[in-house]
Formats: sequence, structure tokens, C-alpha cells
Amino acid sequence: MSKKFKVSRRAFLQTAGVGAGAVVFGSYLTPALQAQGLISNLINGFPVSGVPVVALKVNGDVVIIAHRPEMGQGIRSSLAAVLADEMEADWKRVTVKQADADAVKYAVIFPSEVPTNYPLPHPYEKIPGTQKPKVQYMVPPEGSQFADSSRSMTAYYTVMRLYGAGIRLAMIRAAAKKWGVDPKECRAEKHRVYGPGSRSIGGRSIDYRWLLLGAGKETPTYEEINAALKKPEEFRYIGNGKEKMPFVDASDMVQGKAVYGADVDVPGMLTAMIERCPVANGILLSYDATPALAVPGVRFVLPVLPSGYPAGGVGQGFIPHAGVAVVATNTWAAWQGRRALKPTIQWNKGPHKDYDSTEFRKELEAATATSDKTKRVRNKGNVDAALGTPVKATYYVPHLAQAPMEPPAAIALFKGGRMEVWAPTQNPDGAQQLAGQVALGLPPCPPNDEACQEKMRAAATLHMTLLGGGFGRKSKPDYIVEAALLAKQIPGVPIRVQWTREDDIKFSYYNAASSQHYEAALGADGRPTALLQRSALTSFFGTLFPNFDTPGLSAAQVAGAAVVRAETFGGGEYPYASGIERAQGLEDMPFDIPNIRIENCQARNHIRVGWMRSVANIYHAFGICSFADEMAHAARRDSKDYLLELIGAGRILPLSAEEVALYRNNELPVEIIKVPFSGGKITQVLPGFPPDTRRLRGVAEAVAKVSGWDEKVKQYKNMKGRGLGIAVHRSFLSYVGIVADVSLNDRNEVTINDIFGVIDCGLAVNRDRVMAQMEGGIVYGLSYALLGEITVKTGAVVQNNFDDYPILRIHQTPKIHTYIQDPPADVVKEYEGNVPPTGVGEPPTPAVAPAVANAIFAAGGPRIREIPFKKFVTVL
Amino acid sequence: MPVFQLNVNGKGYAVDIDGNMPLLWALRDILGLKGTKLGCGVSQCGACTVHLDGVAARSCSVDVGVACLSKITTIEGLSYDGGELHPCQKAWVDLGVPQCGFCQPGQIMTAAALLRANPHPNDEEIDAAMRGNICRCGTYPRIRAAIHKAAGDATS
Repeated sequence: MSKKFKVSRRAFLQTAGVGAGAVVFGSYLTPALQAQGLISNLINGFPVSGVPVVALKVNGDVVIIAHRPEMGQGIRSSLAAVLADEMEADWKRVTVKQADADAVKYAVIFPSEVPTNYPLPHPYEKIPGTQKPKVQYMVPPEGSQFADSSRSMTAYYTVMRLYGAGIRLAMIRAAAKKWGVDPKECRAEKHRVYGPGSRSIGGRSIDYRWLLLGAGKETPTYEEINAALKKPEEFRYIGNGKEKMPFVDASDMVQGKAVYGADVDVPGMLTAMIERCPVANGILLSYDATPALAVPGVRFVLPVLPSGYPAGGVGQGFIPHAGVAVVATNTWAAWQGRRALKPTIQWNKGPHKDYDSTEFRKELEAATATSDKTKRVRNKGNVDAALGTPVKATYYVPHLAQAPMEPPAAIALFKGGRMEVWAPTQNPDGAQQLAGQVALGLPPCPPNDEACQEKMRAAATLHMTLLGGGFGRKSKPDYIVEAALLAKQIPGVPIRVQWTREDDIKFSYYNAASSQHYEAALGADGRPTALLQRSALTSFFGTLFPNFDTPGLSAAQVAGAAVVRAETFGGGEYPYASGIERAQGLEDMPFDIPNIRIENCQARNHIRVGWMRSVANIYHAFGICSFADEMAHAARRDSKDYLLELIGAGRILPLSAEEVALYRNNELPVEIIKVPFSGGKITQVLPGFPPDTRRLRGVAEAVAKVSGWDEKVKQYKNMKGRGLGIAVHRSFLSYVGIVADVSLNDRNEVTINDIFGVIDCGLAVNRDRVMAQMEGGIVYGLSYALLGEITVKTGAVVQNNFDDYPILRIHQTPKIHTYIQDPPADVVKEYEGNVPPTGVGEPPTPAVAPAVANAIFAAGGPRIREIPFKKFVTVL
Repeated sequence: MPVFQLNVNGKGYAVDIDGNMPLLWALRDILGLKGTKLGCGVSQCGACTVHLDGVAARSCSVDVGVACLSKITTIEGLSYDGGELHPCQKAWVDLGVPQCGFCQPGQIMTAAALLRANPHPNDEEIDAAMRGNICRCGTYPRIRAAIHKAAGDATS
């Protein structure tokens, strides 16, 4: 099948702004559209992006739109480089421009030449009561700009390549026409097309700038562009390319010129600081504005939430906690005013005022102690028959706060019935819709009401700044809603909401507290014949949506929430975990054991719960990788050899055969999507990402090798207080192996000497940033493993700042050795040589804590079954 | 309110503000120098580090009334004399130290003060000088390497 797109300029102009419909998806496949954009550039005399992610200026220079949020992962550089590489752009002629929130525009519709009966990323058809969306998306609007789940590169790699290759192909064809030669004899290299013959003996070449109009008349098909994609060895910048990858923000960052949320200066802006109810769902009773208004510079004292608004907390999504704002001419005045205001406020602390995290831990552990009220999420064979006298262990991970270096901040201006927002956010679309909702003064949209969502988006503009770290905190736009709610009350004046570190620690959306229980029967050879696992975790479900049993909910609200939960979270019902949480190291437990039963327990929210870097993998990896080591010791085996036996030879996990109802594979397809093209050739057009323990085994073997495991184990056997620990984990579609080398002295003081980390993330597009994410992710894992704990008493978070919620510092940071591992050869072959890139932001983190716990045990220390380790060993 | 004379990056400013205002907010809100960041507000993280007479100080915890007695240097003025980047800034770019970048102005100001006092610090000396600066992205290994690199540049 081969079909040319014919799109008139008028049709292009009509659709370009919206991005809806197959025609516009075709825009990346048809540089005709690209060139029509160029023509309008020529007419207007300045560059205007006619297509979503790339524009060419009259002089041939390229502007690439960075549509995803940048929070330290380097995506502004990496995605731009993918496109520049395929189009053979000279990086010196590329600039990167940050996009505003515009989720529909950056969504990617399924290629129209691809038959539509292929598996979709969102398995709607498997969820009762839901329908396939009208338009089939490769990347749906809700995911097009949302920087979570380490998906930016995985989702857009193929898309950016197709854009780039389409432009290169059109340039080559335009040059070939100009010269009257066969395009097959031409090639493109760094903004020039070269004709037949070598450069030195009179071969012709021409700069892209002279080909713009000609290229605009070319209409290559999807099939032709797909066939023109580079082979990995042809990459110029990405992967193992010979030229250095760009890092577009580094220079600004080291000079203090990079602009984060609080750095935006809008003329006439006032600064707000907010005193919030310390308990989730508590409401404001009264306050006295007088002392705050007496502080010089304070202009307004206002409640954040309009009367009648539900107060933020459990079940209220991104509605902020109840609070009173002090709005002033500068930050210090607001800070002092807030201090004066605080003693005057009376709260009704509401239903969670007695929440105590230490008591709640007992509830979680009671839940994992029995199979009563659990939901079976995976089953193979018969565990009960095989268990006998099992090895048992229970692990606990407390609430944790993301604590990005930049405390939340946002600016909003309400003018002419619309909201304009400047903010650091991982969730631009969610924030834009909420800001629009505040502007319009309307209730939230019913689930899946696209027209309503469009109305909300239309009422707000959101400018994305750099994020001073996110780690999941900034995917929750409650601080942006605060700015919008205040701006609505002071029309025409830009209002900046500035959080303090104390606000950030006390009003996070915390990673779930969790109990993990394991039982295993070991056979005569020491290997497990059966594994039982129970997981209790406070699901973020309970924070995002009203509980079904919340008093006062209408039947419509309950029904609506049920639909969203089913669609978005894979059918799980609160207070059980969502499909997303179950797929993060629970259902996909990788070990090859004859009898397996995995259960999920009930657990309720009493505090806002959200995502933190690697989310449910934190407790699932800590549990299973520690338990693997406990089994190894019970069997008197070497931890690494035993781990390799647990993994086995390697296979694709047969999850559906083991009663896993709906495996949420980071919202991406498990199977590779192949399509027949003309001539009968069946080719991979979209990658799939099966959970594949061949790759897990690969990183386990590699990390054992680079760490010198076998030699050091022998050496440390005769040394007091020195030990090695190993852990491996797949998360966000990538595979990571960690080895920790620790010392423990007579005073029970622990030193982490070395951490070795190996990642298989498919194609490492930006090798330097992959290494940086490995280094940083390992430090992040060490930080919470050794030091991390949020506790709650009488409903309020106890910790305040970095003194009582410590973060790992430089003197506590070991030598870190990181390696990028290619997937095994048979896997590479299955992907026809092109293994797609997978996540690198979160995957480095989960295996760190268990590797260190296992190493401390090997060094003669205690078996640590809970976080933070500082409760059991001294961290200097 | 009294008028304070602030000497920032070699330039004089007369500011009419509360003398108890922390220097951080005077720099950011009054003078518009946004390279100095709020991280914790209580001298725990170093994101707000500036130089007072060449010595690293936490601007969140130094009042304007005190800061006005010193020559103040911020990240914007670290290289102001020649326009060329400070060796630390160069090393930070060369080794790709920043991730989100938010803490890096403070890291660089602390490192620059260290190198001024001790042009060739070893790892222990680097750790001792830098342990007051938190990086949540975990760029510490590269910060160590970049300080060594900058020390080499500074002496060559």
C-alpha cells in the first residue's frame, strides 16, 4: 500500500493550529506542509512554526521546538538532537525553543497508512464499559507533554526521527531534481546535499537553504520515510555518533541565567506566601488579617479557596490544601506577613486529624500478614501446596518527599476572563486545564469530555519554565491552582506564589507508605519452589479521585470517577492499588519459580499520596531484591550466583498466562507493532517493550563483571566489616543492575565505598545524559535508603526542612561507576537491529536500596528490612 | 526605612528597604539578580551562596544591614571583570555537571571561594568545603571532578 498525501495550503492552515485529524499527523510525513510553512515565513519575513516541532528559517537555520518539560533529564537537548540527526542538520544552525502547554497540538496520531487493528498503547477494549477513542493516538494528548514515567524519549524517539528523515528525504529529492540526477545517488550531510561523484573531483553540493522551495513540493510517503531512517551506525550526534551531543542549557545554568519558576519577572507582580491547614482535607474556620496587613509591603490577605470549594487533600486531586495567602510587594514582606498571620488562623482539621504514621504502619503490616481481603494479581501453580516451612520476611518503606531543589512556585495573571500562567511543571496540560477552570469558575470536566477539556484549555495559556528538579512533585499542579485562585481574586495583577522549603516538605504528594511480605519454600537444591508475595501500599488513587464511600458524593460523581479509574488505572478499585502501581515490580516479579502467588492488600490514604522518582518500584524492588538475598543466605549460596539462578536463562514473562488481567507496561505496547508494506515486506513501525528477563540477566552479569564480584567476594570473606550486595530491577522499560561495596566499622558506622551501576535502556540516545541520570539516580536512591523518612502525627507532617529531612551530601557520596550495556544479541535481532530507547530518569533508583542493604548484611551488619537505614547503622 | 548602600558585583546600589531583609530577597526582588536561589531559607543547602569579601556566605541568612558592610559578589558577577567564564563555570560546562541546574550557581560560588583559599584541594578538602551545598539531582561526582579540573586550569 502506498498513498500520497495531498494537502492544500488552506487545509494545512486550518489544521496546523489544532493538530487534530490524520491530515496533520501526515504533516511530519509530508514536507510539503513544512515548505508551505516556509513560504508563509518568506511572506512574513520572520520564522513561524507551521508544524508542531520544527521550522526552517529563510536562511536554512532550524528551530526545533522543545515541547516537553525540562527538569534536569536533558530532554531539550536529546529530543532536538534526534530530529537534527535524522535531518542531517548542522547543530551550529539549530536553536531550541521552549513550547507552551498545548497538549493536543503535540499529540501524535497513529500513522494513517498503518492498519488500525494493531494493539494500542491504551488497552481500552479490554476494560468493560469503555470505548475506543475516536482518534487513535501513538501519543495521546494526556501524555504528549506530561513528563512522568521516564517516557519523553520512548514516546517521541520514532516521531522525531520521522520528522527529521522526512525533511532530509525532501531536500535530497529537491537537489536531485535541480541537478537532473537520481536521488539515490545523492546524500545529505550537515545541512548540504551532495550529488554523484566525490567532493574532490568536481562533485556538486548545495546548502539546504537553497532547496527550501523545491523540498516543499516533495511528498514522500510514510513508507518511503520509514525506509529512509538511518541505521544506528549512521547516527551523527545520538547513540555512538561521532560528534558531541549538544547540551543546550549548560552555559546559562552555570552563569545564573537559566530561568526557573520563581525567576520570571512579570511587570507589576506581587508575591504571595500561604499559610496552609497542616492536615489533609481540613477547612478554614477564621483568621484575622490585621497583624499581617500591618507589615510594610503587605497588600492583601485572602483565603486561597473560594467559599464552598472542597478543601484539598485525600480524594481531591490537585485542589490545594485550605490556606490563607499574604500578598505583598516582595517575598520578604509576604514571609513576615505570613508569620504574623499564622497565630490568628483557626482550622477545622477534619477527618484525618488523628492520622499517625507509626500506628498506620501496624495496619499495613497486619494487612500483609494474611490473605484475608487481598486481591490476587498473579498466580501460577499452587503456592499453598508447595510452601511447607517457608523463609519469611516483611519489609517497610515510609512516606517519602521528592524535595526538588526548587521549591514550588508559579505566577498567574487573570485578565479579560483568561488566565496566563508561568510555571515549572511536569504536567503542563493538567495545569493549563485547571488554570482555565479557575478562570471560568466552572466545576471539573466530566471524564472524557473532550469538548469541556478544550474549553478549559482555551481559557488559559501556560508558559513552561525550566524546572529546578521535579522527581514527581511537579506533576501535581496544586501550587499552580493556588496562583490561579489568587489571581482570580486580584484581576489584572500578576501573582507569584512562592513556597518555602518547609511548605515543600509538609505539603508534598508523598510516595506511598508500604509493607511487603514474602514467603518462599526452598527445595533440596536451595532454589525456591514457591513464592508468596503480599503488597500493601497507599495508592495515589485515593488522592486523585474521591473515595466511592465519601459522604455527599452524587451518583454521577461516583460513576464518573469509576470510569476514569477503570480507564486510567487498569480496573483497580480503591483501596487496592492501581494497575500502574501493580505493574511497577509487583505483577512483573521477574524470577523463574514454579509456583507463584502475588496478592495486593487494602490500604487507605490519610495524607496526599503521589509519585516520587520510580514510584512503586521503590518498595517493590527493595522487598524482592532484599528477599532474593535472604533466600540466597538461607540456601548458603553466593548472592550473585543465586540471583542469576532465580532469573534463569531469561524469557519474556508470560504474564497473561499467569492470571495477570491487564499489565500496564508503562502505558506502552508489549508487542512490537509490525506492518506489511508494498512488496509484502513486514516491518517494525512501532516498538514494543516486553518484560524480558534475558535483558535483566544481561545487566546482572555485566554488573557482577565490572564490579569484580567474584574476586572481591573471596577477598572480603577474610575481612571484617566489608561486604558486597547486588540487586537488579526492570522499571520504566529499562533494566538496571547495582552492586554496592560497603564498610561497617566497630562503632556500627557505615561507609558506602563504591556503587557500580549498569543500565540497558535500549539505544542510549544521549550517552552522557544517560550516565548523568545513572549517577544522579543512584545518589537519589542512596539518599532515601540511608536517610529518607516522612512521619505524620495528629494528621500533620513532622519534618520541616533539610535538617530533619536530610538529603545525601557530597561527603556521603561514594565513588560511582556507571556503564551502558547493550541488549543481548538475540534481542537486538528481534528489533531488526534497532532497539528503541527506554527510560533513564527513574530506572537507576530502585535497585540501590536493596543492594546497599544486602551489602551491609554481607559486611556483618544487621539484616535491614526497612527504610531509612540510619535507624540501624550510623550514617556519618 | 533606612537607605542601605550595597556593593554588588562592583556596582553601587542605594536601596530603601527593611535592614532585616535577608540579602537573598534584596538581590532577587529589589535588584533583580535571579541567579541566587532560594533552596531552604535556613543555611542548610547552599543554593543562595554568594561571596562577601570573597568568602562564601548564605545570602538567605545574612541581613542587608550586615551585608552592606562587605563587597558582595553573586553568580552574575563571578566573571564580570573579563567577561570570560570563571574556571569553575568552564569546568562545569566541559564536564556536563548540571542536571536541573538550580543549585549550581550556589555550588559554583562555594567552589570558587574554596579554590581562592585553597588552589589545589584534594577530595577530602573538596568534600569538607562542599558539604553545605545540596544537589538533589546528585551531581556530586561531577562536581568533585570539575573542581579538580578548574584547579588545573587555574594554575596553568
